[in-house]
Amino acid sequence: MRKKTIALLGNPNVGKTSLFNRITGLNQKVGNYPGITVEKRQGTAKLNQTEYTIIDLPGTYTLFPNSLDEEVVLNTLLQKENKDFPDLVVVVSEPSTLTRGIIIYQQVRELGLPAIFVINMEDEMADKGLKIDYDKLESYLKTKVYRTNARNGKGIDTLIAGFENQIGPYFGSLSLPQQYDQALNEAKKLFPLDTEYKTWMYLGLDAQNTHGLETSQQLASIRAKYQLSTQQLQKDEAILRHEKVQQALTAIVQKSENKKLSVTEKIDEVLMHPILGYVIFFGILFFIFQAIYAWSGPVMDAVDASFAFIGEFIGSNFPEGPLNDLLVNGIIAGIGGIVIFLPQIIILFLFIAIMEETGYMSRVVFLMDRWLKPFGLNGKSVIPLMSGAACAIPAVMAARNIENPKERLLTMLVTPFMTCSARLPIYIVIIGLVIPDSDFLGFNLQGITLFAMYILGIVGALGSALVLNKIIKSVRNSFLIFELPTYKRPDVKNVLNTVWEKSMGFLIGAGKIILAISIILWVLGNFGPNDRFSEPEKYIAAENPQLSEEEIQLEVSAYKTEYSYLGYLGRGIEPAIRPLGYDWKIGIGLLASFAAREVFVGTVAVVYSLGDDVDIEDDTQKATLFERMKSEINRNTGLPTYNFATGISLLLFYAFAMQCMATIGVVRKETGSWKWTLIQAGFMTALAYIAALIAYQILK
Amino acid sequence: MQDKIALDKLNKGDEAIIDSFANDSLPAKFYELGFAPGSIIKVKHKAPFNGPICINILHDDSLIAIRKSEAALILARKK
Repeated sequence: MRKKTIALLGNPNVGKTSLFNRITGLNQKVGNYPGITVEKRQGTAKLNQTEYTIIDLPGTYTLFPNSLDEEVVLNTLLQKENKDFPDLVVVVSEPSTLTRGIIIYQQVRELGLPAIFVINMEDEMADKGLKIDYDKLESYLKTKVYRTNARNGKGIDTLIAGFENQIGPYFGSLSLPQQYDQALNEAKKLFPLDTEYKTWMYLGLDAQNTHGLETSQQLASIRAKYQLSTQQLQKDEAILRHEKVQQALTAIVQKSENKKLSVTEKIDEVLMHPILGYVIFFGILFFIFQAIYAWSGPVMDAVDASFAFIGEFIGSNFPEGPLNDLLVNGIIAGIGGIVIFLPQIIILFLFIAIMEETGYMSRVVFLMDRWLKPFGLNGKSVIPLMSGAACAIPAVMAARNIENPKERLLTMLVTPFMTCSARLPIYIVIIGLVIPDSDFLGFNLQGITLFAMYILGIVGALGSALVLNKIIKSVRNSFLIFELPTYKRPDVKNVLNTVWEKSMGFLIGAGKIILAISIILWVLGNFGPNDRFSEPEKYIAAENPQLSEEEIQLEVSAYKTEYSYLGYLGRGIEPAIRPLGYDWKIGIGLLASFAAREVFVGTVAVVYSLGDDVDIEDDTQKATLFERMKSEINRNTGLPTYNFATGISLLLFYAFAMQCMATIGVVRKETGSWKWTLIQAGFMTALAYIAALIAYQILK
Repeated sequence: MQDKIALDKLNKGDEAIIDSFANDSLPAKFYELGFAPGSIIKVKHKAPFNGPICINILHDDSLIAIRKSEAALILARKK
């Protein structure tokens, strides 16, 4: 079978991804370009004994890169040795923004690549009041022009058949300004084999990734000699092309009133209104969170129950022993701990995908940019930050939509500060223990404290953004320019595809790490270095001769926890956490809850010999746990362990600490860097420690 | 010759023709998206408290949002 590589290239919002879905069907996969986190969508299509590898390049307005995404586009098209180097480029455009589509098409042709031109969304032409003379357009572009409608599949088969088109030669349509002749001639000596335009492009680029350091230095010295800047070259080219294409199009396109835009304008008068716009946006956000909490609840309970059932089934059907326990409490519980987040992730991404598809997301960016810019963030950071109030895992993933690498990194680094749902059980327990259940100015004090914790999360996120913004160096200038697409009905296929990809990405990517750490924690909690762990009965009986056999049995699991490796670790870190007001028992809770914050309550319950399945929503069980915890005496201070000072210290610690390995896993995956993942974990833990330390030392 | 006015100074509903640029620091993306000399534009929305502005580029029928800081570099003649 013959093989050919086809690259889809075009502006954002021209329906390129829908077209890609149509061409490839479900024969596609999403990966990353090597070494960077730019998503790579690749698929296949077959026709007449030829297999076409279709690459959906990131949407771009120009070949001169401003973001990582755009750099990928340029490198794919420039480097012949690149395995994605296309045999044919399909430039996708839509009727109303033909100028932009043609400019990028011309750039591709002048680089020496064969290309065909597609006008997608051709069904919208009548609504948009446009008439295109296709014969004239074809002769102007010197290639075949295809018309498609990716929504209903019209024109797709003809387009695929068109991949075999022989594309005639192309002569540059751009006459470069004479003032650059000398510089260009000098640059040509560096690239004797390349087209004139390609050389010009190299001269106008500041990218070392494209060609080695040496060549880029030579190019820089040519620019210096003739006092040229890359911006100046790029600007001149863009303006020149723009003028030429505009002129040519007057003879090709006829325009009358655009009905599509007037509908969009009417909706925008409401959604982008300086007051109403914000009211509606916050209303939608409120609805989304309501949905995440309310809709996912029953599903999460079902997931929890079915994993408990599977665990029980396997537990009772396999021979007893450590292997059984590892399987049930390590592996199955670990996988359960991953899957339980799926419902929230699916619901969240469903809403985000719909907001993206309809075009509303750009309006949100427009409304929020002003308020996030001072913190070094971007209007687009609002989605991750708000999602962080449900769960940091999908929230960090939602940061993908931010183009500027620095703003995206900052957003991912501060999102885990937001008060996620896993912090709630801890907050409820600790607030219940140390904050009096009385009224203050008519408000319940416990309620005020919980609300304050949410505010603290936002302050933590924005405050650290402010600090990190000063530290992180920016590769590119921060600027914001984005298109507000006309409103569209969401393409169901695209929405489902996005939700599927993101959920699976989480399940597999973060899942591996969560599973590994669950197993490690299980091992540490279930083995001990000596017989105090293996034969606890003997020691308990010796230390407390008055206990009956039954009472001894109750003490066993607490004793085993104390003398497991985890217990030793808890006591090992005691000197470090003593200044925060904690004893080794809380230390165990801290260590275990590194897996996930909600584990704290369960672990503490085990340490206080209540069994690990304490349901914090069950009032009697909660009361028992509370009573046990209240009577607990810290052996270092002789005071109750859970006094006001320790409680506040613990609240602050959990508010700031990166106590969630799932988030660490996902940050590692999304940043593609251990460095930033560790900096984040370190930064958060240090902040948590310092805040807890100050609070305890002042309050004690 | 009329006076040039930077885009950030225009009011909602104003139409203008792009004339020139204060300097070369704008990324090429601005020109590619249609802020080229001669383009007719219309200010559609302004986010409150000096937030971004939304501009309609007439020849593309497109709506483009930019920050005020960059709008200040784009000079236009009022229509």
